[in-house]
Amino acid sequence: MANHNTPVIQTENLSKVYKAGKRDILALSNLTLSVRRGEIFGYLGPNGAGKTTTIRLMLDLIRPTSGSATILGLDARRDSVELHRRIGFLPGELSLWKSLTGQQVIEYVARLRGGVDWKYVQELTERLQFDPTLRVRSYSSGNRRKLGLLLALMNKAELLVLDEPTNGLDPLMQQIFNDLMREVRAEGRTVFLSSHILSEVQSICDRVGILRGGRLQAVETVTALRHADFRWVMLRLREAANPHLLAELPGVTDLTVDGSTLKLRLRGDFNPLLQALDGHYIVDIKTEEASLEEIFLSYYGNGSNAQKEGEPVKEMA
Amino acid sequence: MAGVTFVHTVRRSWRQVLYWGIGIGLLGMYVAIIVQDADILKQYAELAKNLPPALLQMFGMNDVATLATPEGFISFGFYGYALLVLAVYAVMAGMSVTANEEDDGILDVVLALPIPRWRVVIERFFAYALIAILIVVVAFGGLWVGILSSPLEINTTRMMEGSINMIPSFVLMIAFTMFVGAVARRKGTALAAAAIFIVGSYFINFLGASASGSLADTLQAVSFFSYYNSEDVLLNGLNIGNMVLLLGVTAALVVGTVWSFNRRDVGV
Repeated sequence: MANHNTPVIQTENLSKVYKAGKRDILALSNLTLSVRRGEIFGYLGPNGAGKTTTIRLMLDLIRPTSGSATILGLDARRDSVELHRRIGFLPGELSLWKSLTGQQVIEYVARLRGGVDWKYVQELTERLQFDPTLRVRSYSSGNRRKLGLLLALMNKAELLVLDEPTNGLDPLMQQIFNDLMREVRAEGRTVFLSSHILSEVQSICDRVGILRGGRLQAVETVTALRHADFRWVMLRLREAANPHLLAELPGVTDLTVDGSTLKLRLRGDFNPLLQALDGHYIVDIKTEEASLEEIFLSYYGNGSNAQKEGEPVKEMA
Repeated sequence: MAGVTFVHTVRRSWRQVLYWGIGIGLLGMYVAIIVQDADILKQYAELAKNLPPALLQMFGMNDVATLATPEGFISFGFYGYALLVLAVYAVMAGMSVTANEEDDGILDVVLALPIPRWRVVIERFFAYALIAILIVVVAFGGLWVGILSSPLEINTTRMMEGSINMIPSFVLMIAFTMFVGAVARRKGTALAAAAIFIVGSYFINFLGASASGSLADTLQAVSFFSYYNSEDVLLNGLNIGNMVLLLGVTAALVVGTVWSFNRRDVGV
């Protein structure tokens, strides 16, 4: 396996400003980021954070206002054609030729790539349960996503750049996608995966970069992020609840009691909570995953610990 | 891989050769077979004398007397209209080089593959230029069949030259639309610019021809229709100078498209 410390992606002060009439819109600000060979790197941020802009800069679809990107040791602008040979890309909003069949799209892309391993394409088609005989216009969003994944994976690229790859995939297919990504990692290849869904990133990524408002706030291991993870829990008891019942419980915060209904924020396991409620009749339990924004604020304390302009990016990995 | 995009574009568009070629060919056939007697052309010419000159110029007729000849009649009845109809296809083809796919987001997929931007433009342009030529060939077939079935006696070589003469103007319209599509980034803007270019050129040409000494007359030199002049080609043969000029402008537009498209952000 290749050296894990060799950066596959290295950006230096990469910035992009879009012009909208007379207004300048800062989409990405001084991004300095390093992705290592053989890792699955999650690029996490809410919609509009600058994830897609970063990817489009890496692929030379748009040009930086300042800064540079080096991918697989090559300049992202100057050597873009050679890089595209070695990168598999899935755009966030995949559009394809509607009048062509899936198979025709695959064959066209394969020809542009100078040929692919058709046995591997067949294997991917089967694993993704994709029917390539239909026209693109008749595919559901999930099937279009599968076709996009197939196109990104079929040349066994050294680097996979996937923008919101599981959008539209059902849970079973997400599992298959996760397996495929783990296989890619096991082969020493690298995955750069953008998402706004924390759980997706947590399940497969080694490290995560958190982007907000066009600025990279931090690069963390998934383990570190997991410590910040919590969920909202709503419990409905048969009798009115005692507010002191759970207040002192480790991992429980933001507790509110409304008659027999308790709402709280829980970090860690469920068991201590259920043990504390021993003897109470629980009518209903509802849980809700924390949003990325909530976890982010929880981790960085309302942004006060987040990266300030000009500060180096926090790296805990 | 060289040629892949060219072949892909031709494969996807070959049906258009049939649809457009047969459509325009039927127009040519109709124009030829409605003439039951060659002498009727003289009556047409007499009738045309009573029409306002501007109206005749509008349909590409510079000299009413030529309407009495088979060449003049075919020029007036077919070649004048055919290029205008083909302008619709030219705009569609020009938009398909980059503008449509950029608008749809497909270009992101294409340009993330190992193909340089210039090659996407060049291969697609040549594919559409080939399709344009094939449309003209099929359309010529229709006109030729019509001529064979009519009493009109017309030199086949001259008729072929008349069709060949359509090609530079046809590909120029494709190239112009492709150019504005690459520069403007917005499909609507590109469509409007292409329409203004074609319709504007057409009006400048006929206004200039019908009002000598006017501003339109001076501006006629910038209208590509003034270099098309099918009537003169059918009577006197191809004007190589005009064709070279139109193809030269086309080449400049292709270079401009590549230059503009290479420099800018895609899909923003």
